[in-house]
Parts: sequence; C-alpha cells; structure tokens
Amino acid sequence: MKKIEAIIQPHKLDEVRDALKNIGVDGLTISEVRGHGRQKGHKEVYRGMEYEVDLLPKIKIETVVPDARKDEVTRAISSAARTGKIGDGKIFVFDVAEAIRIRNDDSGELAL
Amino acid sequence: MIEQALASLAERTRFVDETVSNAAAQHLTPHLETPFAVCAVGGYGRRELFPYSDIDLLVLAESESGLAAIKEPLSHFLRVIWDCGLHASQSVRTIADCCRLHEQNIELHISLLDLRFVSGSASLFERLTSGLPAFYRKHENKLIDELAGMAAKRHAKFNNTVYHLEPSIKEAPGGFRDIHLLHWMSLLAHERGRIQEALEAIEGPRRFLTAVRCFLHSASKRDNNLLSFELQDKISADWLNESADPAEWMRLYYRNARQVFHAALRALEFAELKDPSIARQFRDWRARLSTSEFTVSHERIFLRNAAYTLNSAESALELFTFTARHGIPLSWDAQRRVSSDAELPPRFLSQPPPWNAWREFFSQPHVAMALRQMQDTGLLSAAIPHWHAVECLVVRDFYHRYTVDEHSIVAIEVIDQLGLKPEFSVRFRQLLLEEEDRASLRLALLLHDVGKGTRPGDHVQGSLEAASDVFERLSVPPQNRETIEFLIAHHLDLSKVMTRRDLDDPATGRFLTSQIPTQEQLRRLALLTYADISAVNPTAMTPWRLEQLWRAYSACQEQLTRELITNRIDREQGASLAAGQSPELAAFLEGFPTRYLRTHTAAQVRRHFELDQKRRREGTAVSITQDSGAFLLTVLASDQPGLFAKLCGALACRGMNILKAEASSNSNGCILDLIRFSDPLRNLELNPDEVIRLEWTVECVLRGSLSVADLIKQRRHAPRPSSGSKVMPSVRFSNEASDDCTLIDFTGEDRPGLLYDMTSAISAAGCNIELVLVDTEAHKAMDVFYLTQAGGKLDEGAAQGLLEELKRVAMPV
Repeated sequence: MKKIEAIIQPHKLDEVRDALKNIGVDGLTISEVRGHGRQKGHKEVYRGMEYEVDLLPKIKIETVVPDARKDEVTRAISSAARTGKIGDGKIFVFDVAEAIRIRNDDSGELAL
Repeated sequence: MIEQALASLAERTRFVDETVSNAAAQHLTPHLETPFAVCAVGGYGRRELFPYSDIDLLVLAESESGLAAIKEPLSHFLRVIWDCGLHASQSVRTIADCCRLHEQNIELHISLLDLRFVSGSASLFERLTSGLPAFYRKHENKLIDELAGMAAKRHAKFNNTVYHLEPSIKEAPGGFRDIHLLHWMSLLAHERGRIQEALEAIEGPRRFLTAVRCFLHSASKRDNNLLSFELQDKISADWLNESADPAEWMRLYYRNARQVFHAALRALEFAELKDPSIARQFRDWRARLSTSEFTVSHERIFLRNAAYTLNSAESALELFTFTARHGIPLSWDAQRRVSSDAELPPRFLSQPPPWNAWREFFSQPHVAMALRQMQDTGLLSAAIPHWHAVECLVVRDFYHRYTVDEHSIVAIEVIDQLGLKPEFSVRFRQLLLEEEDRASLRLALLLHDVGKGTRPGDHVQGSLEAASDVFERLSVPPQNRETIEFLIAHHLDLSKVMTRRDLDDPATGRFLTSQIPTQEQLRRLALLTYADISAVNPTAMTPWRLEQLWRAYSACQEQLTRELITNRIDREQGASLAAGQSPELAAFLEGFPTRYLRTHTAAQVRRHFELDQKRRREGTAVSITQDSGAFLLTVLASDQPGLFAKLCGALACRGMNILKAEASSNSNGCILDLIRFSDPLRNLELNPDEVIRLEWTVECVLRGSLSVADLIKQRRHAPRPSSGSKVMPSVRFSNEASDDCTLIDFTGEDRPGLLYDMTSAISAAGCNIELVLVDTEAHKAMDVFYLTQAGGKLDEGAAQGLLEELKRVAMPV
C-alpha cells in the first residue's frame, strides 16, 4: 500500500477531488496548511506597514491506495492540480506498513 | 412529560437511598466500632438523580483515628453499590475536616451545601450540620466570590451565550449549573431575598430543563447533557409531535435557558455588589460617566428618571447608545424597568427613532453588547420586526456554532473588538481604522442573514427584502442604503473567491472588480467577510483563512488601483448616461474615471455639471459646502501647472486639514478636484462669511492674483496634532499599473500643509498629476498619485529622484 500526500493550490481542490472520484478514490483526508517552497517568503507593504508573508496557504490531500493504483492516482492529482505556474505544489509517495479499520479490525488493503 | 420526569427523579432517589442504606447496614454497621454516617451530597443530596448520573457520597467519621478502620468495610460497601449498577464517587472525612476551609477544594464546601443524611449515626450527622452554619457564615463572601468566578469562567467558555446550536444543557449559560449557582448562593448569602426571588422566578424553566435532561440521559443511556441535532429531532417528536419542526422546539429551549441565564447574571451582579475590595472600588471609577439621566455604579447603568427615559423610543435608544459608547451593561433593575414597560415595544414599532439616532448608536465601539441588551428586553425585534424571524433560529450547519441571531451579533462583536484590541489581525484592524461609515457596516452585519428566517433557500434575497423595509422604517438615507444593500448582496463573494479562484491570476482581480467597483466598498466587504467568518465559531478564522481572505482583498485592491486610470467613461457611456438630458452633460462626463459615477449620486453629478457651466463662463468654479461634520471644496477648472498643489496650499495657509481628496479630468481638459477638509479652529463654522472668503482665496490663487508662497509666509503655524508614534514615510512607484502613467503610492505622517509640500515637489519635478486619491486615518496620510512627465511615464531615474524628494518633504520632524 502507498500513502499519497499532495500539496496543492487551494482553488484546485474541487478539480482534484473530482478527478480522484472519477477513478474511484473516495477516501481522502484534506487539511488547510501553510508553507513555502524554494522561493521562501516575501515582504508585503500595505499602507506603509510591512507584513512578512512567509507562509502561503495550500491544501494537503492524503490518501492510501493499493500499490497497483499508485501511478494512476498520482497522475490524476498531477493533471488536475497543474496550472504550469510556480506554486502548483508537490506529490509525495510513502510506503504503508499496515492499515486497520478500527470498527471491525479489517486489515491490509481490505481496510482501505 | 415534566411531571413524569420529576416523578422519575424522586423514584430513582428513593431507590438509591434504599440501596445505599441496605449496603451500609450489611457492610459498614457490623464492622465499625466508632460512629459513622453515610451522607448524600451534590446532585444526589438535592434529590436530583437523573438516569445514569453518578451518585456522590460522603462517609463521615468521628475522628482521624477512625479513618483507617473504615477502609476495608468501605470497599465491600462500594462494591455492592457498583454491582447494583450505580456509579458512586465517595469521600471519607471527619467533621473537623468538613468545617475547615480548603482553598484548593472549594467544590467540597459547595457540595456540602446539599448534604443529606442517608444511613449510619444520626447524631454524628447532626453534629456536622450544627457546625456547618457557622463555617458558612464565616466564609460567606469568599465562597460567593469563588462561585461567581467559576460561573464567569464557565460562561466565557461558551462565549457568554445561550444560543448554541447544540448546547450542553448542564454547563452552557442557561443550563443546570446556572440553576445550581442560584441555589447555592441562596443558601450562602446572608441577605438572600433577591437571590431567592430570582430562584423562584425560574421555577418553570427549572422544571422544563429537568424534563429535558431526563430525556437526554434516558435516550443516550448515559450521563449525556449535549442536546445534539439528533436528540433535538427525537425530543421534538416526543414532546410536540412527529411532524413538528425541531427548530420550533429549540426556540422553546432557548426561551427557558435565557430566563435561567438572566437570573444567573442577576446573582452574579449581586455578588459583585457585595464585593467590598479595593480593586472593586477602583473599578468603580467609571461612576464619573454618570449623566443627568443615567447613574453608573459598580459597572452597571441605573436609570435616574425612568419615566423620562422610557417616554419615547428615541430616549430609550439613547440608553442603549450609552451602553454602546462606554461598554457598560444595564443593571438588573434598569433591564427590569425596560422589559416591563409594555408601552415601549409599540413605540419602537410605530415611531422608531430617526436614522441620525441609529447612526449614532451603530457608530459606537460596543454595539454588540447594546444589541444583546436590546434583544433581551424585546426591543430589537420591536425596532426591526424582521429580526423576530431569526431570533433563536437553528439552521443546521456543520461549521456554525450559534443560532442565526447570535451569529449576526457575534459578527458585530468581532468588528467591535477589532477596533478595540490591538492583538486582533493587524491588517484588518488597519482597514477598520480607515473605515468612516461603521454604522452602515454594522447594520449590514445585523441584517445579512435575516433572510435565513424570512426566505430560507435564498437568504441573500430575503435579507435584501428585509433591509428594504428596515430602510423605510428607520429613514435610512440613500447613500447608506446603497452601501448596506451592496454588502448584503455580496456578503458571500470574497469567501467564495478565496477558496475557489486562483488568487495569483490577474483574471481573479478583474472578476472581483466587476463585482466590487470601488475601494471603499471593497474595504467594507473585506471587513464584513472577516467578521462573518470569525462569527461562525471561535476557531473558524484560522491563519489559513485569514491569509486567503487578505490575498483576495489584495488582488481586488490592486486591480481597482490600476483601473482608477484605465477605466474611463467613453463617449457611448456618456451619451447613454445623459440620455434625455443635455448633450453637454454627455460631453462633461466623457473621460472621467468610471469610479466617479460609482462614488457620486445623480444629484452630485448634476451639481458638478452646473459648476462646469460656470467654469465655461468664468474660467473657474469654486464651491465649499458642509459635508458630514467636515467641509467639501469642489473646484472645476481648466488644466494648469501645479493646480492641485495650489488648492492644497490655499487650504493649508488658512489652517484647514485635508482629510480626503480626489482629482481627475475629463476628455475636454476640465479638471474636477474634490477636497474634503476639517477646520480644527472652527473658523468656518463660527463665521459663515469665512466660507465665502475662503472660496474667494481659492479663486484668486487659481487666477494667479494671489501667490500660495506669499500666503504660506503670512500663515501662523498651526499646532501639530499630537501623535504617540511617528509614521515614517513609505513611497513606492510602479510603471506597470497603467499604460500611460506612473503610479506613486505614499504613506506617511500627516501634518498641516503636507499635501501642499508633496504636490509642490511633484510640480517642481515637472510632473503632471493626472489623477489623485488622498485619504487620512488618524495621523497617517495615504495617497495614490497617477503622474505623467512630458506626456508619458516617468523613467526609472526620474521616478527614483521624485521618491527621494517626497520622502524628504514627508519626513516627520
């Protein structure tokens, strides 16, 4: 099993969610997060007052899928979230040792 | 249902008493040589044993030496009780222990107030009960103070409101703990008359809540006090009927909880009045705010002449305006007098106070507190009948925590606190400081969700319809109506854009400006959205949402600044706007920024057009009028070098303080300058002829018969406004904002003559001011200039040189 974690632009959430739904991925965890990539932060001036804008709002999507579906899912996220501009985000893939459904103790892919 | 619930409590208490007595007779009496008593305390002591509630026991021993012997028999005794399905919490104490103050365990002394004998030595129990009264008399003030402190903390945890969508009927304001508070205070207080009276007044709500709590515990099969949506459905079907609307049943709940909460607040007020501490007396410094109508004492307002204050809706509103101004609530007595005056609601309904009185009310810093008091006394729905539709209205939503009415008042509270507490978002606080029309903003917040009660399914339209009626009732002037309607109609726009649109895409800025046409409307809408999101629940405004909202605001603000110069009224638009009127009007309008039409009423445009006709005859047209507590200088003139600087200089040399300014031109080379200024020395107000003299001075300066430089030399230096901190000048320029002009964005410390010095520097640099937007907030000046030099943009070197010069002239002394 693989855990797929994607950091995307907030306005791309609906498109990514639809893309995942279309390929049958319904189980998702979504969080509002803030962070920055290589560009780091910048200073913003409003009415003469300086504000440090070092963390930009992003959306984090997490899902766990069977190994065989990893490429299909990452492709769906990537094509739905892409605008071609800096700040589109990143996708990370992790190995998952075990999954257990708390309700009935189903385990492995059965628990997904 | 209520009688059934009360009977079940009595039955359960009887059953538990019997079980405890039997267990004690079996496992304690035969094994203990020294006297002991098993007592009920807490809810069990009060015979308030709800299904599945724990039972609190006190095992009383004669002396410390007997405590060791009790340990083993006690464990057998408790096992029997647990085996009977009862959850027991026990403590073992001596009489001396119970009659000694435990600073860290005040709850012990509170629980002993409900002490009741169950089993064991009656004489030992009597020794305790005869010793306790002296203890409570000695520590009366301390215990009442602790109780009040705990209640205030508990109320604050629930945001001091009963209007939670899924309330805890035990802990939330208006719940059982408030009934207990009154009960305990009535047992503790030496002068208990007022508390007893409050307790008796809530006998009905107490019985109601008892039945509700019985239902919750039975339906959940555990000690559950949360009135969840699911349980609201069940209790509504059970209490009313299967098809009943749970929201209607919840209104019944809120009405009862509100009575309990008010009685608890009355008890807390009583506790405060008893407090003789020096700190308390120090806090009473606000007594100096007392007027001929109201007395301020112990942080409460008392009526001096109730007959006068309650004689008309307008004078009653003054009472609430006093609360809104100083943040001091009405005393219990004042509330009672207002609530019990049966004539007052009809007066608010038939002859509501005029808009000026409402504007004064909504402009104060503590409006939310005053609105809550108006709601509690029934006057808010009398003044605004549509309010009744959202009072105590539950609209189920995963994120919302409060009823619709409470959400709107909390949103106004967010604005109040934003203005008062520096720790709130610095950026939105800055926006609020720039906002002049806070009355319209707050009224829009009050009405923005009224449609949820009047027109579910399309609440925005419903709120607009309600607002239209409110405008008629309160005689709201057209300009405020337009602002409030805009805010209600667009109150969801920014929150949608911040999550659904790419905020880095210039198209998002263009989309927003198609909905939000001016900076002033954008600022108000951003503040309204900030308050609306923050009022959803205490954690709704996360740093994530705050950042997204600010980015949406910035995208729109940047685009509006660009459009100041690019979006002009073209020939076709001018003709269509002047259709059926003079063709000269079309020619007058052509070329002005589109903002001009969005920020001026038809009457103002007509007035400018009339002045333009005078300009065409005489070369210039100058007019000074009073404008909402300040003055407005309107000048129409043909373009000439340094025109705007001359106007600023003419005003500065007469000691006037420029608050706002706009300068723009049409396609025929007619310059329209609008400068709003204050007169700190009240020269114009006290000497009406001075207005004519100032108009004459301006005309002479424009014609060249008077020199600004000479006038400035004659000027007596006006005192600088006091300022806690200096604002260092910040100037930036952009050649990207417009195709033809250079944008200069300036912020710095305001001072008399600053704008004259800056515009003179701009003229001296050979620049022409194509458009200007000037604003001030306290001691800060915020100006946007669009400049050209030799008919085009400034090159990098010239712009940098001008920036340095502007910084130099604006540097605080």
